[in-house]
Amino acid sequence: VAGDLDDVLVRVARGDEAAFAAVYDRLGAGVYGLARRVIRDPARAEEIAQEVFLQVWQTAARFDPQRGRARSWVMTLAHRRAVDAVRHDQAATNRERAYDWTPGPDHDEVSESVTVLLEHEQVRKCLEGLTELQREAIDLAYYQGYTYAQCASVLDANPATIKTRMRDGLVRLRDCMGVES
Amino acid sequence: MTTDLHLLIGPYVLDALEADDRARFEAHLTQCEQCRAELSGFTATAGRLGEAAADTPPAGLRERVVAMAATTPQEHPVVTALGQRPAGRWASRLALVAAVAAAVVGIGGFVVEHQRADELRAAKSDLVTVMAAPDAATTTREVTGGGEVRVIASAQHDAAIVVGASLEALDRDRTYQVWRMDDGTPTSVGLLGPGPGVLLVKDIAGADAFAISVEPAGGSEQPTSTPIVVTPV
Repeated sequence: VAGDLDDVLVRVARGDEAAFAAVYDRLGAGVYGLARRVIRDPARAEEIAQEVFLQVWQTAARFDPQRGRARSWVMTLAHRRAVDAVRHDQAATNRERAYDWTPGPDHDEVSESVTVLLEHEQVRKCLEGLTELQREAIDLAYYQGYTYAQCASVLDANPATIKTRMRDGLVRLRDCMGVES
Repeated sequence: MTTDLHLLIGPYVLDALEADDRARFEAHLTQCEQCRAELSGFTATAGRLGEAAADTPPAGLRERVVAMAATTPQEHPVVTALGQRPAGRWASRLALVAAVAAAVVGIGGFVVEHQRADELRAAKSDLVTVMAAPDAATTTREVTGGGEVRVIASAQHDAAIVVGASLEALDRDRTYQVWRMDDGTPTSVGLLGPGPGVLLVKDIAGADAFAISVEPAGGSEQPTSTPIVVTPV
């Protein structure tokens, strides 16, 4: 199945299973890799990736080519589902640890490893072009599922500042990546 | 406060809002044209961050994902007026929906786009657990007379999913019945209904194969007809 991914996804909405397989072939690695990055556990990440593609299949009719690109739509579903899962798992862990409080991972170490591991050279360069606070806030939120309030807490910053830095950072990333605004 | 709400666009795009803030921002989005314009560029940017984390998926995931699509109904964008009967391809699709809906109740939960985290776990059915198992193996056999049967088995979960895809529709007084075979002895594990269907079978250890036969509605104690298909586990 060839063609622009937006058109392919429109065919999925009409029940075209070959088109659906083509969507997997183009975005399977992205969806699985993102879930893996956020969730860490490979088996759990695989479950999430499978759920995401099931959701793509079931709700393809909601994709509107007028409002965005297919790639963005699928990656948005993947990210939201991964983040929901990691927060849910974290909440369960917190309940288990109610009387055994231990500090979370050192965020400096974590955020560095995220940046180093990124395969996509351009994205890595664009992330390096952010201010430290912008980059750390986006790393923690996007790749680890932190809420902005949690980011503010771990970065020892004002929540209002973090909100603003996230938006500034996205503007800078968007322009650096050459995404149409 | 509009300006305050508008600032939530950064954390919103990064999925860094709690549920109530997310809902407030989405309500705001419907009123704020400037936000919607900015949102599409930000969403594409975040998508690039996601794709930069690409990693090779485990072997077998593609096959399971594609098999799931073949047996899962899609949301329909079209509203059909009362009394207007769907025809042709849609009729068969709707028949599949009806047959599968009962068996795939758990998966129905995933239709909801903005599902809350705790609901996510609750809705995750045994079906998905088996399909997502690292050791899940699929065996497919064609059925004489049309359609095919797939058995997705996981030793780790000691369970299998029997999928009757595109099976010929039976009269209402007959049903497809699934049997597990142990050394040639059939034991009923459930009914697929009079058309395509899905059945979850637990405690599969020891089973050699699954067989499907056509039986009177309600099923039989022992097979009363020759199996239409036998699928080894």
